[in-house]
Amino acid sequence: MKTLIFGAGNLLLSDEGFGVHFIQYLQKHYVFPPEVTLYDGGTLGIMVSHMLEDADQVFLVDVIEAKGEPGDIYRYEKDDFMLGKLPIKMSPHQIGIQEVLALSEIRDRCPEKITLFGIIPASYEAGAELSPLLSGKLPGLAELLVAEIVASGTPVEKCC
Amino acid sequence: MARITLDPITRIEGHLRIDVEVNGGSVSNAWSSAQMWRGIETILKDRPPQDAWIYAQRFCGVCTTVHAISSIRSVENALKVDVPLNAQYIRNIIMAQHSVQDHIVHFYHLSALDWVDVVSALKADPKKTAQLAQSISNWPGNSETEFKAVQQKLKSFVETGRLGIFASGYWGHPAMKLPPEANLMAVAHYLKALDYQRKAAQAIAILGGKNPHIQNLCVGGVATAINMENLATLNMEKIAALKALMTETRDFVQQVYYPDMVAIASIYKEWFKYGRGVVNYLAVPELPEDTKNTKFALPGAIINGGDIKKARIITNHQDLDLIANIKENVSHAWYEGNSTLHPWDGETKPNYTDFQDNGKYSWCKAPRLDGKPVQVGPPAQLFAAYAGGNEKVKKLVDASCAKIGVGVNDLHSTMGRLGARAIRAHLMADYSLEYLDKLLENVGKGDKVYANPTEIPKGEYKGVGFHEAPRGTLSHWMVIENRKIKNYQAVVPSTWNASPRDDKGALGPYEASLVGNPVAVADKPLEVLRTIHSFDPCIACAVHTIDPEGKEITNVKVM
Repeated sequence: MKTLIFGAGNLLLSDEGFGVHFIQYLQKHYVFPPEVTLYDGGTLGIMVSHMLEDADQVFLVDVIEAKGEPGDIYRYEKDDFMLGKLPIKMSPHQIGIQEVLALSEIRDRCPEKITLFGIIPASYEAGAELSPLLSGKLPGLAELLVAEIVASGTPVEKCC
Repeated sequence: MARITLDPITRIEGHLRIDVEVNGGSVSNAWSSAQMWRGIETILKDRPPQDAWIYAQRFCGVCTTVHAISSIRSVENALKVDVPLNAQYIRNIIMAQHSVQDHIVHFYHLSALDWVDVVSALKADPKKTAQLAQSISNWPGNSETEFKAVQQKLKSFVETGRLGIFASGYWGHPAMKLPPEANLMAVAHYLKALDYQRKAAQAIAILGGKNPHIQNLCVGGVATAINMENLATLNMEKIAALKALMTETRDFVQQVYYPDMVAIASIYKEWFKYGRGVVNYLAVPELPEDTKNTKFALPGAIINGGDIKKARIITNHQDLDLIANIKENVSHAWYEGNSTLHPWDGETKPNYTDFQDNGKYSWCKAPRLDGKPVQVGPPAQLFAAYAGGNEKVKKLVDASCAKIGVGVNDLHSTMGRLGARAIRAHLMADYSLEYLDKLLENVGKGDKVYANPTEIPKGEYKGVGFHEAPRGTLSHWMVIENRKIKNYQAVVPSTWNASPRDDKGALGPYEASLVGNPVAVADKPLEVLRTIHSFDPCIACAVHTIDPEGKEITNVKVM
């Protein structure tokens, strides 16, 4: 099964770059087989839609706006965040991930399984480092996500 | 009089607020406000200059390579480093392919829905749509079967109430006037365009090692080793893949995007009358063809008052008048004081007030050239190349204008900006393949050099890296002191265009372009979006927060 782990965000705005830091953390601590792609998607939105369309299952990691405390991690499945339920919602950014996925659906290329792990940020200050709070969340989320990939039948090794 | 606030403007990168006053159906005053703090350059302070490009390409969400190029050029300019021909050609291909990708996405995904009524496409006859598409292009994808399939898919989306993915589209708005067949054609190409922007991204990844965020730059060249027999380097196999991708993308741009643009422009001809705004232009020379950045395929120019004939042509990146006369004023921006500073002396000291019509109202500084507001972007580059005698540009611009039935001077407009992007995409698709041939020819002659490795010396150096990016003139300004960055400022295309008023009260290009713009329905200001989107706004620093709980955040406020 082709698996994509897609980390989104801006590396220069501290916690906003959580998804990218997460990809770097995985690269450093795990060895993935070739059918798993680790992707630092930055903030590109629609320009990376093809990465999503190429996978059978997708794990998105990004910061979210949700009720709760900074550092809280929420899990959403495809149906929870697809735009079907929210016909007039619109991202203030280029084209939001939900619209990108809906476009892929119209093109019959949207993967069946998409899971979003969203974390509430503590800081949007300019800076290339995560806040200590979010930095502390990397190992736990990595373990959780890797366990899930392993459970789906894909071997992953921890290296350090 | 009505005051309309659009906050945020959607289908752009970043967060932009536009306020307009409407009198008798047209805009009488306008304000452009960047709603995000832009202090991202401060991260670069005290870092090694040779690493700046890696950070700089994260400034923005979509324009990653352009900041990398500008940043590396600023170090090369400061230290007077030559760039080998192979490296120039490789960079030129990356820049041209990035432009192609950017323009495709802008036209179809960010601006087409201002002109294309998706709901109307449901009423189209697929057979007639195929006839229409085949009458303007011989692209093989324009079949009745294809249009029928797209229409079916759209229907099922509409039936499940999910059409909102096309985002606050103003369906049925009186300013929409394409016939159903043209709408269906555009929607089908909108979906197809995703495949071709991808091919451009793949081409960039072959050369840059990765996309987004290329990995192959270094001060003095590129880190792309060239050896036709080696698996790990740029070899014949990769060159063949690159050529195939770039050829397919060129065909899409020249047989789909460009004819679509011409067709839409011909139907919306009155939009060559609106959106003129600031007609002082700046473009810098681009696509270098020598090692010292003195010879370029596309010349730059400074144009005042829209007078292309009197353009002052800029032939290289060492133009001292240009370098001296770019300054940024903060009278109406949320920074301390009302200073006008050169980027090398630039300061970033925030001073937020609320939105004050006559005071400070934007995070965007006001860049000025010789004290005047200036428009940058594809029209500026085409005008410069036209005035500078580039035959390819002249031929393309004249042919496009003739097809649509307008003159070159009509391109100072909303539709002119959209048309200029399509022409530029057409041009860049050709240049991509041309530079690949030049690269192969040069390597074939035995030149294998792709970098002049450079140590950063002690002492103080100042440099500027100019780049004519898809959205217009970009410049990164760097002051180096004892091997570290002392000051860094990026003057980006969108700050030129989205600029607020300056100390003399002169409006920025977005603002000026809106004055006189029609607004038929106050709570559906589609026409304002048309003009603003024609600039392809990209407000410099990208944030990417998902909002899964779904507040409705688009807000049009009519007072």
